[in-house]
Amino acid sequence: MRRYSAVIVLMVLSAGCTHAKRTETQPQPPPPPVTAKPEAAKAPQTATATPATGTAKTTPAKGTAKATPAKGTTTAVAATGTKTPAKPATASNSAKTVPPPATKAQPSAPAKQPAATPTLDLDALEARLKQTKGIGLMTKLSLKNQVDDLLGEFRKHYSGKPMPTLTELRRSYDLLMMKVLSLLQDHDQQLASDILSSRERIWGLLADPKSFAALDA
Amino acid sequence: MTTRVIARASSFFVLACLATPVAAQQDNEALKKDLTAVIALQGQPCGEVVAATVLKQNDYAATCKDGNKYHVYENDKGRVVVDKQK
Repeated sequence: MRRYSAVIVLMVLSAGCTHAKRTETQPQPPPPPVTAKPEAAKAPQTATATPATGTAKTTPAKGTAKATPAKGTTTAVAATGTKTPAKPATASNSAKTVPPPATKAQPSAPAKQPAATPTLDLDALEARLKQTKGIGLMTKLSLKNQVDDLLGEFRKHYSGKPMPTLTELRRSYDLLMMKVLSLLQDHDQQLASDILSSRERIWGLLADPKSFAALDA
Repeated sequence: MTTRVIARASSFFVLACLATPVAAQQDNEALKKDLTAVIALQGQPCGEVVAATVLKQNDYAATCKDGNKYHVYENDKGRVVVDKQK
């Protein structure tokens, strides 16, 4: 009887674990169809990661380490460098593998530049919005209705009717974007940030009569 | 032999009792959030949906925290409609 009770407890625990896994795997969106590749943004990050270890190793004497970062621009990096020497007792093996020239790359100017954010075109945005689990089905339908309404307003504008001016269209566009972002920001942050970075690009497509006509076709 | 079968059956029963309500509750919470977002997108006052009933596919009755009740459905033109119920 004890065995059975143990089996039941194990099964209940495993059932609990499966629920936990399901909630963890849900928010991950499928691979993003991104038009602009942020390879340039990734390169500086790796470059800045190595100098941190490099500084820890090339400054074995603490007195010299404090004396060397006299350059004004590298004070932030030097501050991190002084903290890292606490670790070298464990990471001494990796210290030998790091080449000394890494210290020359220490002035990490590229790290201060904002990372190049990927932008989405309209097709990619539509696909990502369809795929995301951050928004429910009825919300997606409702948003699609509002996007269609906005496109209808653009059609009116480009057909020569005076009423929806470009300023009004921009206001409507911004409001719709705000709605989308507010719906996504808590549940699919990656998509929200991608949309945010693509906002002006999409507006550029809509505000240009030729590109809008191409989209509409 | 029969005791083993009974024990296994009881364990499956316990599992089913535990798993089903959790999944149903998760679905219901997701539906409430979905309807809350839809009602807010339509600019209707609600606050938060506290009860939701599935009437048909893409057809729901929602009760809000502030006491408002809405019929939320997709019409034959594919538009989501939020009708306030008296």
